[in-house]
Amino acid sequence: MMKYLLTISLILLLAACGPAGGEETSSSPSIYIENKGSDTLVNLALAWTERYQSMHPEVRLSVTGGGSGTGIAALMNNTVDIANASRKIKQEEIDMATSNGFIPIEFIVARDAIGIIVNHENPVNQLTMQQLADIFTGRIDNWAEVGGNDLQIVRVSRETNSGTHVYFLEVVIRLGSSESMDIFARDTLLLPSSEGIIAEVRDNPHAIGYDGLGYITDEVKVIAIAMDDQSAYILPSVETVNEGSYPIARDLYMYTPGEPPAPVKDYITWILSPAGQELVRELGFVPITP
Amino acid sequence: MPEIFERRSRESHGEWVITRLIQTAGYSSIFFVLMILYFLLANGLPVMKDVSLSNLFSTVWYPIEEYYGILPLILGSLVVTLGAALIGVPLGILTAVYISEIAPQWVKEALKPLIEILAGIPSVVLGFLGAIVLSPFLRESLNLPTGLTALTGSILLGAIAIPTIVSISEDALNTVPRAYREAALALGTTRWQTIWGVTVPAARSGILMAIMLGIGRSIGETMTVMMVTGNAPVMPDSLGALFAPIRTMTATIASEMGEVSGGSPHYHVLFFIGIVLFLITLGVNVMASRIAFRQRKRSERVLS
Amino acid sequence: MDKIVVEHLNLRYSDGTESLRDLNLVIPANAITALMGPAGGGKSTFLRALNRLNDLADVVAQSGRVLIDGKDILEPEMDVIALRRKVGMVFSRPLPLPLTIYQNVSYGLEVAGERNREVLDKAVKLALDQAELWDEVHDRLSDPAEALSGGQKQRLCLARALALKPEVILLDEPTSALDPVATAKIESSLSELKKNYTIVIAPHNTQQTARVADWVAFFLQGEMIEFGPSKDIFTRPKDKRTEEYILGRYG
Repeated sequence: MMKYLLTISLILLLAACGPAGGEETSSSPSIYIENKGSDTLVNLALAWTERYQSMHPEVRLSVTGGGSGTGIAALMNNTVDIANASRKIKQEEIDMATSNGFIPIEFIVARDAIGIIVNHENPVNQLTMQQLADIFTGRIDNWAEVGGNDLQIVRVSRETNSGTHVYFLEVVIRLGSSESMDIFARDTLLLPSSEGIIAEVRDNPHAIGYDGLGYITDEVKVIAIAMDDQSAYILPSVETVNEGSYPIARDLYMYTPGEPPAPVKDYITWILSPAGQELVRELGFVPITP
Repeated sequence: MPEIFERRSRESHGEWVITRLIQTAGYSSIFFVLMILYFLLANGLPVMKDVSLSNLFSTVWYPIEEYYGILPLILGSLVVTLGAALIGVPLGILTAVYISEIAPQWVKEALKPLIEILAGIPSVVLGFLGAIVLSPFLRESLNLPTGLTALTGSILLGAIAIPTIVSISEDALNTVPRAYREAALALGTTRWQTIWGVTVPAARSGILMAIMLGIGRSIGETMTVMMVTGNAPVMPDSLGALFAPIRTMTATIASEMGEVSGGSPHYHVLFFIGIVLFLITLGVNVMASRIAFRQRKRSERVLS
Repeated sequence: MDKIVVEHLNLRYSDGTESLRDLNLVIPANAITALMGPAGGGKSTFLRALNRLNDLADVVAQSGRVLIDGKDILEPEMDVIALRRKVGMVFSRPLPLPLTIYQNVSYGLEVAGERNREVLDKAVKLALDQAELWDEVHDRLSDPAEALSGGQKQRLCLARALALKPEVILLDEPTSALDPVATAKIESSLSELKKNYTIVIAPHNTQQTARVADWVAFFLQGEMIEFGPSKDIFTRPKDKRTEEYILGRYG
């Protein structure tokens, strides 16, 4: 009998403690937003997260990279709140999401230019889009063919799971044509990180690579690009991207699985506000509202 | 009397439980291997439905445009592993011979832990060293267009295989009876003649097993090769492929598995590559254990 | 004729185990000299000093002289390889090399640079004959030596040493792993061989010493207590310890 009473009083005690404990935690973050995808966007997304959390302590944001494909795959499996992507979602990916019961919603959150980079020892300063396409498909294999030294060209690219890779394939290698079946030359080095690309181009006079403007450092040389041989050669910068004169620039996206709930919606609205876009400029990307 | 019986039965109960526990632990590893195999097959074999055989065994790998040719990846892994064997096997065996037969005691005591430390270096650290030190060095000294080549991967994988080869070969050399060496020396052979003519041949099967396990270790290695081989899915067509970039099966699975959506052809192809890799490592391990078995039978004969 | 002269030989291992203290001894040619005594008395160590096999072991101190045909073999500049060809050895474990029967016998000659098939064939046959093994193995010379019986293996080890045409043969308890029949065969080979060789043996028991020895040296704890013709040692030993050992009081 004593045992029985003791058990009951213990339960009552616990029940009394329960709600009190719950009240205490309500001041710590209760909203959790998971944000995953493009490596191009990852630094920018982290900067947004830090700034936003300092203003809204009730929101806890987590950011992971892995590539646009990774983010969109997570979106289709409905395991993230926001997928970051440096490429537009594909139709079959929308179909897959639809079959899982929701329609991805797209937000353009910033713009990015892809810089073409070579080693500082390389005398080549400018290329046309056609030359660039020929280099990366392997039709041009020696720097002498585009006015450089007699050196074999070593092409350096991000892995195929990177949005930058897919964007480069569509805009540069296929020159925007949907009929073209051209792909990267098979001996193109596929490196897992932006740092790897910068390092190889920095050290190797044979190399040519590409990367988002936000990642390019002084250790490598940026090449001016012309739409065709009649056009001017343009270096990528905030100004040339906003004018639309630099040919290899793109939008950066966030996708949500269906219409976002209020906290996510608030976060994205803030990103699109001048305060959010100021960070875009700081990180070397191009704001969407100039 | 009844008391004694009771205690007996209680003891045997405890015994029974412990025996079962140990037995379960033993069987669980078989269970895990079978589960992994099932998982691989279940996710990899549907590829036959999704992708034509002529595509699967073509020479172009570019999965985002549905080129699923796995031949360059298989050959890429084989080239890197072959290179690793060419570097790791002679160095590993010579090191083992040095430690076991020649080195003075203090050198032995210094070398053995050092080699164990080499075995403990995480492969990502080796890959990092390879990318920033070895690869520029190879590009400049061999005058290659890029230092991210199969050879770079082979050298690092050789370094990964060496500790395995050294420690197993050294064990094998140590089990060669001292009497063999004395008998050979008493016949007026030199130290080298004794080592090459008697000691190493006597330890032959153990050394072969060491080589197999070392190769098995390097064929499955991922992080290092991903960082230093350039990952270009070039079809290796000659020995010159050693000096060019290459893409291995492991690097492909590691870098692409994250992006694919479950159930897509690309997903199935990656699992199919997993099956191929599994079969290759299984083959190597079976060869190693058959050698080990043969060795045990022989040593039993010698001791009887 | 004095084949081996040992003067003031001292030897100690680093772990302080078996050692030799001030050994003085003359071993005659064309006879069997047996080293008798309990285990740990220094017999093996002494045998291994005669072909410098102790070089491999952890010897901390060695002094004195061992003269073979008047030449001190302990000199550092001694050609050890040549010495070991001249002073063959048979061990207690009948352990052929992991080779064929033929190769076991020819191995020593081949590493010495002998390539001529005919010479090798002849030497192998002669050595196997001397070890009284030829008749048993002549039709299966290319079988692995591992396939032989224990006694055959030990005679193969003897043949292997004989193939190098040594002048001295050292035997360290050569029959300890063998049955009486195999032991008898080895012993009969030895009494044949002593006509042409100097034989130093550490027999594995006193009875064997009595059977084979012409001369006996009694070793006790690293010292040589007594040396003399076999029949003198067994019938009227000078030292009390020798007598007690022969009578089986210890050992």
